[in-house]
Amino acid sequence: MLWYKCWMETRWRFLIGLGLLMLAAAATVLAYPQIVKLLGLAPQIDLGGEIGRRVQEQVALAREYRGYVWSQWFRVSMLQMWVVFAVLLGTGGLLSQVSGGGTLFTLSLPATRNRLLGIRAATGLGELLVLTFVPSLLLPLFSPAVGQSYSVSDVLIHSACLFVAGSVFFSLAFLLSTIFSDVWRPIILALCVGALLALVESLVPDLSRYGLFRVISAESYFRGGALPWLGILSSAAVSVALLYSATRNIARQDF
Amino acid sequence: MTDTFIIDIADLQKNYDGVEAVRGLNLQVPAGSICGFLGRNGAGKTTTIKILLGMARATSGQAHVFGLRTDLQESSVDIRRRTGFVSDDKDLYGYFTVDEMIRFTAAFFPRWRPDLEQRYRRSFGLPADRRIKALSRGTRTKLALLLALCRGAELLILDEPTSGLDPAMTEEVLQALVSHVAGEELTVFFSSHQIPEVDQIADRVAIIHAGRLVLSGALDDLRENFRRIQLVFDGDAPVALFRSPGVERMDRKGRELTVLSSAGAEGVVAEARALNPISVEVAPVTLKEIFLETVSKED
Repeated sequence: MLWYKCWMETRWRFLIGLGLLMLAAAATVLAYPQIVKLLGLAPQIDLGGEIGRRVQEQVALAREYRGYVWSQWFRVSMLQMWVVFAVLLGTGGLLSQVSGGGTLFTLSLPATRNRLLGIRAATGLGELLVLTFVPSLLLPLFSPAVGQSYSVSDVLIHSACLFVAGSVFFSLAFLLSTIFSDVWRPIILALCVGALLALVESLVPDLSRYGLFRVISAESYFRGGALPWLGILSSAAVSVALLYSATRNIARQDF
Repeated sequence: MTDTFIIDIADLQKNYDGVEAVRGLNLQVPAGSICGFLGRNGAGKTTTIKILLGMARATSGQAHVFGLRTDLQESSVDIRRRTGFVSDDKDLYGYFTVDEMIRFTAAFFPRWRPDLEQRYRRSFGLPADRRIKALSRGTRTKLALLLALCRGAELLILDEPTSGLDPAMTEEVLQALVSHVAGEELTVFFSSHQIPEVDQIADRVAIIHAGRLVLSGALDDLRENFRRIQLVFDGDAPVALFRSPGVERMDRKGRELTVLSSAGAEGVVAEARALNPISVEVAPVTLKEIFLETVSKED
């Protein structure tokens, strides 16, 4: 029944996320014919500098459908929206219920705090897993509608990288929710950390090869077929450490 | 630790950010009793209850419930499995319906009592399909009480069970509690600052003030032992010093000398005769007076 309680607490965040991501996935695929038409104008664009280089890179990637899907979906739209929903699903829980959500009732039940927290984390991660795979699986499903095809195995590999590496944001929000009793500070802080990491990765190219977002988007797999194992394992270890810290925080907490 | 004490608290201390919420509390609650835990707001009642249920950790000292330590995770789970609890705020899950809330709670308690559930659903008039956030405070209190009473618990811990209720609703809740206790073998430990309701249903009382236990015992014994002795003299009342044990307070006012004793009236009356009063009157003392006297003495 704790699963059901956690589901009831997070279902709207999850369902809204699922709906938005599915719409975005469909839009990404269906916009491809328009993108192809615009590619003809691309040689006339000469912005110069870093922005120009990026535009040219996008144009080059978009010439091939696989490149377009990766650069538009896995590297930008999905990644950004997914991080937001990972943070949203990670917030909440025992401490934030203190201000009105039956915390004392929950704590009066014969369940350890670790179990309460574990089920909360597992529910959130389960929802996140659905948010990761289901919208992206629409890509191969809708691609024939624009005369293209996209590999299901690519979807699965990119989604797995996104889920495992990106769970750091879920875990960070989860940990922050055991520190702050409101929902806003965990959300804002976790998103700020995400924005800061993205900024550093984009401004310091030397660092970007070790960057979290590079692992999340599985760039090495897209470009060379190599999975970013080190990045995946490192971020998974960070996630576990963050979740463990959350359980220690809650174990020490007085309600 | 004695098995006959369901709750046994020794030298319990709890500090919150340098504030001493509980200061060396010692308290025993015998099995089968209905113990009213009286104290003013902020006296340490809720903190004590939270420590008993593992929601807060003691700074020092120990608390046992059913002979189990409250600060150990496993024994705390066992304590909660055998305890029904109603919190002060009666806060439940607003997004659940009444039905869902009952099914959710029942799933945690192997000894859940479906017979009592049906009875209280009917007698409390709980709307099965209504969301909890849409319930009035009174109905939410009744639901919280149902969830505590049907657990098949050996101990009920109720934190201000009637707070925020109107007198009629308070009476209804207390009656439900009394009739439930009459039919079950259980111990009740309930905090309150409403003296009439403690007087109405408790057989024991423990008074806490500023984190310390200032009085504890069977209510009948307290009523029996606390006496007000009023002495009237011809002229101004003399400045007297009574050696009898239990003299809690003396008030001189003109020709009158009033003595409050917590150990019966005999000793004081015997000593008072030597002062040649023109009249001696012994009167019983209400729980309210005992409470106010005990608390004000400690201030």
